Amino acid sequence: MANSDIIFQTINLRKEFGALVAVDNVNLQVRANTLHAIIGPNGAGKTTFFNLLSGNIEPTSGQVIFKGRDITHQPVHKTIHFGIGRSFQITNIFPNLTVLENIRLAAQAMGRDNLKFWQSASAFKQYEQRAWQVAEKVGLKDRVYHLARTLPHGDQRKLELGMILAPDPEVLLLDEPTAGMASEQVPELIALIQEIQRAGNKTVLLVEHNMNVVMTVSDTITVMHQGRVLAEGTPAEIKANPEVQTAYLGGLYELESPTPQTYDK
Amino acid sequence: MTKSFFRQHQASLLTLLALVLFPFLVGLFEGASPAVVWANGSGTSKFMQGLAIEVFILAMFALSYDLIFGITGLLSFGHSMFFAVGAYASGIAIKSFGLNLGQTFLLVLAAAFIQAVLVGIVLPRVKGITFALVTLGMASVLHLIVMSTELGPYTGADVGLQGVIIPDFINPAVERLRLYFVAMTVFILFYLLYKRFVDSPTGRVCVAIRENEDRAKMLGYNVFTFKFAALLLSSITAALAGFLHTIYQPIVSPNTASLAFTVTALLIVLIGGVGTLSGAFLGAIVFRALDFGLRRYIGESASFINGAVYVLFVLFIPYGIIGTWRLKSLELKKGWEDLLKRFQRSMG
Repeated sequence: MANSDIIFQTINLRKEFGALVAVDNVNLQVRANTLHAIIGPNGAGKTTFFNLLSGNIEPTSGQVIFKGRDITHQPVHKTIHFGIGRSFQITNIFPNLTVLENIRLAAQAMGRDNLKFWQSASAFKQYEQRAWQVAEKVGLKDRVYHLARTLPHGDQRKLELGMILAPDPEVLLLDEPTAGMASEQVPELIALIQEIQRAGNKTVLLVEHNMNVVMTVSDTITVMHQGRVLAEGTPAEIKANPEVQTAYLGGLYELESPTPQTYDK
Repeated sequence: MTKSFFRQHQASLLTLLALVLFPFLVGLFEGASPAVVWANGSGTSKFMQGLAIEVFILAMFALSYDLIFGITGLLSFGHSMFFAVGAYASGIAIKSFGLNLGQTFLLVLAAAFIQAVLVGIVLPRVKGITFALVTLGMASVLHLIVMSTELGPYTGADVGLQGVIIPDFINPAVERLRLYFVAMTVFILFYLLYKRFVDSPTGRVCVAIRENEDRAKMLGYNVFTFKFAALLLSSITAALAGFLHTIYQPIVSPNTASLAFTVTALLIVLIGGVGTLSGAFLGAIVFRALDFGLRRYIGESASFINGAVYVLFVLFIPYGIIGTWRLKSLELKKGWEDLLKRFQRSMG
């Protein structure tokens, strides 16, 4: 197992929308180089929690610590420069640009050439090369010149992943990366995420509804319910946790052992 | 790079050639020799040069509008303020303060810069309908200022700024051909600058902002900076177009600060093709020719027909001339390749 340094941490993180407490004093610790899943029913506050981590919204109170640094009030365009990449539940790409340009823009954001308006973008080969590299990694190499909106949904999810990978972040926040994908495409994407996490020594924080996936790939699982952390532990512990079972999982999800080892774990 | 420079830029070079020859060709058409045209002899050529200068000014204004609307994706209803500031600043500088053209040029640049910074405090932070309304409000304020009687001695209030003495060497009444080439050169320089800007790392981010602003932010771009860069460039371009307007027109009317003038830019860009840049030039030609032709042959009721033409344009050619052309040529190319493939297959 990878080392157990804490890379990401929240302290009493809380977000209120009016009377609704979407995230209720969450204390979470994410160890470096692990795949940490967050599960919970709809409305448990998972996506809001992600938004707080990535800086999309500001918390009501509490702190977000990334590698020992307080990033609670950093705006979203800064957090990515610290090494936090984030994907969205709803596909969020540049629809009328090519696949290559989508990824290239993600790579360019990390450089220092953004304001060189007197030079052609094609003069900066390093970003284009990076885009090709990433496109190959996520399996979109033969579609680089397609417009992003013409891709099938599954490929758009891959593109989304590619756009997070291009800046080479240390932590990936993946909000339901398989949402809306045909079920036969899911194993491929999950295998890709696992490979990226292991080979690249990255930390992945994953929100996922597919229990089979979660139970097989995760090192740690945090269960959220009504904005609170209900339980945390290894997949086996979560499966055995009677509180999780009775509180809500039993009624909603099948927690039996997943079907054959598709995701090699 | 198999294609030669000439083949690659065929269309642009042909356009350039046509623009250079235009005054002389019009002269020949009427029987006036190039020498007469060269010596600024009066005639159809001189008249058409005047129309062409107006087209260059309009095209430059529309180009700057396309950068905000077509490239960065911000619908502005107050773009005329940038033009008006350039037009009035240069007129007042020459008339009331007796500055020469060089000094006036620097003053216009400074005014455009200051204006971009002032509106740039607010504008890059808003988008969509808010952006449209805020720009509308700003332009209305400027319109009121130039119309105010208190500033009448400088701006000419609702009559407009008159009596700006333009030095002979560029005065449209004396050296119109020279002014034609100056306006043409300025427009072409800005067109090339815009082409480069849109293709630069900065411009690519502006396009990304148009496509999906939130995603651009998530990629790590501070969108404020890029919107401000686009505004600044656009402001300078429009102000210089205003400066040319002051040189060419005997009067700077308060209409240059009105909503109608912004809509003119919007129409030109819609006719030419949103976000295409070259559409601004083509659109300006169509706009000015249509306006002129209809007014001449139909009279004042022309604006009614004018309006109908634009409605038809937006309904049936929504991508504009250049935009539709690009789409169709892509389709044609694809169809041609398909046909070739089939032919090759059938030949075994």
